[in-house]
Amino acid sequence: MNKGFRPSGNAYSTWQLTTIITSTLIGVGVLTLPRSASIALGEAGWISTIAGGLISMGSCWLMARLSRLFPGRSLVEYSPLVLGSSSLKWLGKVISFPLVLCYLAYLYIIAAFASRLFGEVVVTAVLMETPLEATIIAMFLLAAVLCQHDPQVVARINELLFPLIILPLLLLAVASFQKAEWNNLLPIFTFSWKDLFNGVMETTFSFEGYEVMFIFFAFAQGGAGKGTASVAGLGIAMLVYTLIVIAGIAVFDIDELQLLMWPTLELVKTTQVPGLILERLESAFLAVWVVAVFTTIGNVYYAFIYGLRQLLGKGIVFQRISSVLLLIPLFWLALQPQNLLELSRFNSIIGYAGAVFFGFYPIFYLFLSLLRGRKLHRQAGEQDD
Amino acid sequence: MTRGWCKKAVLLFMIVCLAMMTGCWDRRELEERTFVLAVGIDRLEGKKEMYKITAQIPIPIKIAGSGGQGGGSSGDAVRVMTTTGRTVLDAMNNLQKRLNQRVFLGHTRILAISEEVARRGTKPLFDAYRRDPTMRRLLWPVVVKGEAQTLLMTNPKLAQIPVVYIMDLIESGAKSGSIPDQTLGDFYIQTSSKGIQPFMNYVEASRVDVSWKGIAVFREDRMVGALDDKLSWVLMQLRDNQRGGDIVVPLPGKKGEYLTFRPHFAETQIEVKHNGGHMAHYTCVLQGDLIEITTEPDFMEKQNVEAYQKIIRQEMEKRAQKLIGKLQKEYRSDILKLGLWEKANHWDYWRKHDWQQVFSDFPIRVTYDIRIRRFGMEVP
Repeated sequence: MNKGFRPSGNAYSTWQLTTIITSTLIGVGVLTLPRSASIALGEAGWISTIAGGLISMGSCWLMARLSRLFPGRSLVEYSPLVLGSSSLKWLGKVISFPLVLCYLAYLYIIAAFASRLFGEVVVTAVLMETPLEATIIAMFLLAAVLCQHDPQVVARINELLFPLIILPLLLLAVASFQKAEWNNLLPIFTFSWKDLFNGVMETTFSFEGYEVMFIFFAFAQGGAGKGTASVAGLGIAMLVYTLIVIAGIAVFDIDELQLLMWPTLELVKTTQVPGLILERLESAFLAVWVVAVFTTIGNVYYAFIYGLRQLLGKGIVFQRISSVLLLIPLFWLALQPQNLLELSRFNSIIGYAGAVFFGFYPIFYLFLSLLRGRKLHRQAGEQDD
Repeated sequence: MTRGWCKKAVLLFMIVCLAMMTGCWDRRELEERTFVLAVGIDRLEGKKEMYKITAQIPIPIKIAGSGGQGGGSSGDAVRVMTTTGRTVLDAMNNLQKRLNQRVFLGHTRILAISEEVARRGTKPLFDAYRRDPTMRRLLWPVVVKGEAQTLLMTNPKLAQIPVVYIMDLIESGAKSGSIPDQTLGDFYIQTSSKGIQPFMNYVEASRVDVSWKGIAVFREDRMVGALDDKLSWVLMQLRDNQRGGDIVVPLPGKKGEYLTFRPHFAETQIEVKHNGGHMAHYTCVLQGDLIEITTEPDFMEKQNVEAYQKIIRQEMEKRAQKLIGKLQKEYRSDILKLGLWEKANHWDYWRKHDWQQVFSDFPIRVTYDIRIRRFGMEVP
């Protein structure tokens, strides 16, 4: 198999890995998060983001462990090694092909639906006369531009945009605390285990996207702490999410929250930043939020394209051309849901499927590779030579 | 060779993009919008199922400072237009037919509804506004005694745009703590929340005057009654730790003589007991100044302060009793936020009872603790 681009001098640092994880996670989901988090758990909605965050953190940490067994290789590359044996290489390829394809399809679908959700928000909230297609195409073009470059560019972009994503959200959460009614957050412990499970499942959509690390961990520097990056990256996202959910519940109360299509946006509307003359910050907030959405869609689409390139054993030219061509079916896919309700139904199906499927992926691979142990390492070593 | 050609092609592509793809679907210049500063909602006289909507629209060129001549008579700075329709949005669309530019509600600051409309329920009125992304949540909804139109027709002459005058009146009152800071967003939240009932500011307007009259109390989304300014202040002290307005107390035993107390800080603590009989106990500490006494009192000098505090305390407790009585028996509406407190802190009780039903018989006691801090420039 053609190994394609092999990072050498310009591989990802720990911080870059962290920013990739955080900014991939934080995206469209943040606008609906307070509502979805409080559907099942009510006042204690913030517990579901913490629980969901911890579970995703565990899953991501397992990916990091897995990646440590195969440094410099992505899921697409080590999957046939784990599943096949040195004598039956073709068997590994045959078994892993559908698994990897499933994974890539998943990335493709979440990229499509995330961009559709982005378009819906923009069209309902700010640019009411703009066609939905135009906003989606604009986002796709950005993603295509990103795909023209080496993986290192992805890391640098994420590193650069990271503060622009985190700071406004933190500022919003803290500023809205002045309008908070703290009694809205009580009582806390009124939910059952079933509620907690449902609550976590409702937030899966907000935590999806860290699966791109199956690809991006491959570019980590030799000394980069992949485990640290998983914990830090998901930890930061979890913190931001939890603060936003607490702010949403404290300001709006759960009954009102269920009526708001984009609670976080309404939170911006009700919050006046003290000392600033500017009112009506929602347009400014959305402008920043576009960045957050871009890092989500861009990263996911890049991971998809790169995975595809590795799967088919092609080079950068294939990546450049296919990234543009594959936008057409992506666009078609994004326009499939008729309206927002259908979109969120699709999204939760994808979210559930993804959560279950990719929760087990790292465990499955890790289990198999540990089982096969030394033999596998020798085999991996042979391939490296 | 090929690389150079490639670069040129990309450059050409970018230039074409720049030339063709700039611009914006939603571009709409400032002068291409009609700003509506205030909306008033009434029922049409004679045809009660129709809404009558009044909108106050500023005339940019007449506003001082924008044109060369500056000023003119202030009454000309706005135009008040009235339309009718079967729903609020229908009426707004009828208004649109008479305007040259698109109506823009993003700068609406006052949403006035008549008492009659409020008593019929606000849910059908506000749905269109909740869906409209340009509508603020931070505007001031008010219930107008009589017709909402009167509030929009009024011209106090002290400000160029009447709505700005009304807005400032509420805003400065809210800042000083004598008028509740009740925005449309708050009203939405209180309407949907189960533990709390909504209210709005209640105003009265005539041809040249506007005044704040207190609070209009709602149950669910229907107005059920009003509280006067004195009771509204008690509510603000108990509910939000707001200071409320000056308290004028008649001096006991002296007809026509008064004492005025200006609260500066209010701090209320709630204590709810459920073991053996239920009881909610509000303790409100009011700190403030004595600012007026119309006659020399005849108690001993040393006890003066305690005696004053006692008089004020008795008056405040009497007012609080009246407020609680009205809310529980007459309006049966918990705008005190007690339900929210119950839900938060006594979940077991809340879960087993329907608060709406229980509230009107729930024993509530209010104790005031008055602390006079200063006496102004005169020895008491």
